[in-house]
Amino acid sequence: MREITLSKAVNEAIAEEMRRDPTVFLMGEDVAEAGTPFKVLAGLVDEFGTERVIDTPISEPGFVGMAVGAALTGSRPIVDLMFGDFIFLVMDQLCNQAAKACYMSGGKLNVPMVLRTNLGATRRSAAQHSQSLHALVAHIPGLKVAMPSSAYEAKGLMKTAIRDNNPVVIFEDKLMYQDKAPVPEGEYLIPFGKANIKREGTDITLIGVSSMVQVAEKAADLLAKDGISAEVIDPRTIVPLDEETILASVRKTSRAIVIDEGHQSYGITGEIASRITEKAFYHLDAPVLRMGAMDVPVPFSPALEDLTVPTPEAVADRARAAVRGELFHAA
Amino acid sequence: MPHEVIMPALGMAQDSGVLVAWLKAPGDPVKAGDALMEVETDKATMEVEAAHDGYLTDLCATEGEAVPVGNVVAMISETPEGSGTPAPAADDTPAAAAPAADALPEGRQIIMPALGMAQDSALIVGWSVAPGDKVGVDDVLLEVETDKSTMEVPAGHDGYLAAVLAAEGEDVPVGEVIAIISDTKPDAPVQRSRADTPVPAPSDKAETPAKEAPAASASAPPKPSPKPAPIAAAGDRILASPKARFLAAQEGLDLARLVAHGVPQPFHVSDLDTLRALPTDAPGAAAAPAATAAAQRITADLPADAFAAFTAWLADEGVSGDAALASFAAAALRGASGTEGAVAVDRPGSDPVVFAPQPGQPMGALAPADAAPALVLRDLRRTAIRSMALGAEAVPVPSLTTDGDRLCLTLEGRLHPAHAIAMIDAIAARLTDPLRHIL
Repeated sequence: MREITLSKAVNEAIAEEMRRDPTVFLMGEDVAEAGTPFKVLAGLVDEFGTERVIDTPISEPGFVGMAVGAALTGSRPIVDLMFGDFIFLVMDQLCNQAAKACYMSGGKLNVPMVLRTNLGATRRSAAQHSQSLHALVAHIPGLKVAMPSSAYEAKGLMKTAIRDNNPVVIFEDKLMYQDKAPVPEGEYLIPFGKANIKREGTDITLIGVSSMVQVAEKAADLLAKDGISAEVIDPRTIVPLDEETILASVRKTSRAIVIDEGHQSYGITGEIASRITEKAFYHLDAPVLRMGAMDVPVPFSPALEDLTVPTPEAVADRARAAVRGELFHAA
Repeated sequence: MPHEVIMPALGMAQDSGVLVAWLKAPGDPVKAGDALMEVETDKATMEVEAAHDGYLTDLCATEGEAVPVGNVVAMISETPEGSGTPAPAADDTPAAAAPAADALPEGRQIIMPALGMAQDSALIVGWSVAPGDKVGVDDVLLEVETDKSTMEVPAGHDGYLAAVLAAEGEDVPVGEVIAIISDTKPDAPVQRSRADTPVPAPSDKAETPAKEAPAASASAPPKPSPKPAPIAAAGDRILASPKARFLAAQEGLDLARLVAHGVPQPFHVSDLDTLRALPTDAPGAAAAPAATAAAQRITADLPADAFAAFTAWLADEGVSGDAALASFAAAALRGASGTEGAVAVDRPGSDPVVFAPQPGQPMGALAPADAAPALVLRDLRRTAIRSMALGAEAVPVPSLTTDGDRLCLTLEGRLHPAHAIAMIDAIAARLTDPLRHIL
């Protein structure tokens, strides 16, 4: 199978959907001529023109509000938020308007909008351009949240997001745009709320989204050398969350670590760990561990920045302690 | 009897309020709860309600005037004419002495402040200043607790705490005078509680708090203790993972048998294999499971003179040798296995004495404790016993015997072999060189 970059996969997904459905259009800062700072959308304006690939002024609340309005009146906008950090600017448009329109209209209104944005630290972009804020929107009922972990995932999840009749926020990891993965030529969709068991194992379950899936897989490689068999699960979407697959895995392995690049406190690691503890308590042989990003603004110093996010080595260390029953005194 | 209307404290750091407007005219009848006046602080403008029924009289503050908190601005009298003797309002004159019934020191009256909007009383958690002591304007005078939070209340004035009129644990209505701060050091500072005193004027105001007060003081919670709860002694409860516990219950396995065999807690699923492999206790032998268990036996040999000299010195200092033995054993157990626990010193012919030494606790401060021992140190030095093989017990039992000028330390019990060796080595080292323990 051919291998393409995550960036190319997103580009293909959007192009295919724009060809299929004339109501789909793209809007955001530097999406047309520049094709975004990450060049993800390069070339789309040549095929679809400036009517459907619209460069906006630097005004996130304005153009996200416009997208909500366009979605309410029959279009299917894909609105591009250049950095996930800018999501703070569009909280009302996203959380008060888009997320609630369907509910408050008794189902008469829909907001088939995709907000595509990114997350991820270790790009030396400092504290205001390095955050992973998916937990913030996952908290709001009415928003779906997709977290692609590879080029294959990015394409399939984007196409599903565009066809969804509800607002979807997609967080791509900005460090993975150049990562290649096998992606089929033909069309495929990845359903929401269906986790992907990336690797089967028997001793511990490692749950991660986005780039943390790679971290979990590398940790599983390290653990295999010690004879510890780790199962790696990629939930793919955190809203809706495929609880059943996670619980079935933990019932099998009796142990779990939830890994995320968002800040650990009050984040998705706590949410997923808590659901495991509530629903698989009597199957647990070790405390469920959370490994999120350090609770600090992401440092600009490369040496410090690299310390703030979970690494395969750190995950493997904690996993060994869990499997060996050594967490009691460490806690 | 007329009641004073004072400028209330509506905020924490407020020392005066601007009387924006009178909402009643002099001589008007008022009922408790009626809005009397509008007051503006740096934070907000609020209406102040009357606390009593009567007639508004003796107004001594005018609209637009900034009045220090606690100063009298009017009276609520039984007749529309009033008393004709309004309390002085001037800032520099301390509020007049308390109403006649009670002789209170002169000074500024400190009232229970309103710390929340919908709060009608607050509990005094504790006074931070003793009666008669000097206080500064920003010093914390007391700590109060409302239904929302606990807060420190600053004195608000420089001076001396001349009177404390409500005790810790008492629930006091907002606006009631709780203390008096005088300019000069009081000769005889007053200290009393609301419960045992027919407090002046404000006490017969709002009914609800008055009714609540006795109940509140009767069941007054003590000041929250900063001391953490003691850690439950190991042995109170078996520590095991949810899955290990669930599987054990399902298979009818008794985790207590793992405890009896000295397997370190918490138990995980892997420990159930050990449990399944344990020989089944014969009927009737349950009382002595240790008898069938393989005994663990370690013996250490060491010179006796250093410890003898040490205990002689301790005796001069009034410290018992048992406290030293318990301290040594507890520290060795802690160092070897990380287990925190009490130590029983058991000597034939007398009851075992249990000590629970904490890390760093001086031996002289050790007193016999009432705790389940994690280890029993059997002192057989005054017996003729030279060696033993009694088999494992519920907890590890090191025994101390003598042989001429040598001491012999024998461990029986089930500990992890590495822990057992480390512990006996550590006790022996301490007995050989007791000063090391103190260091």
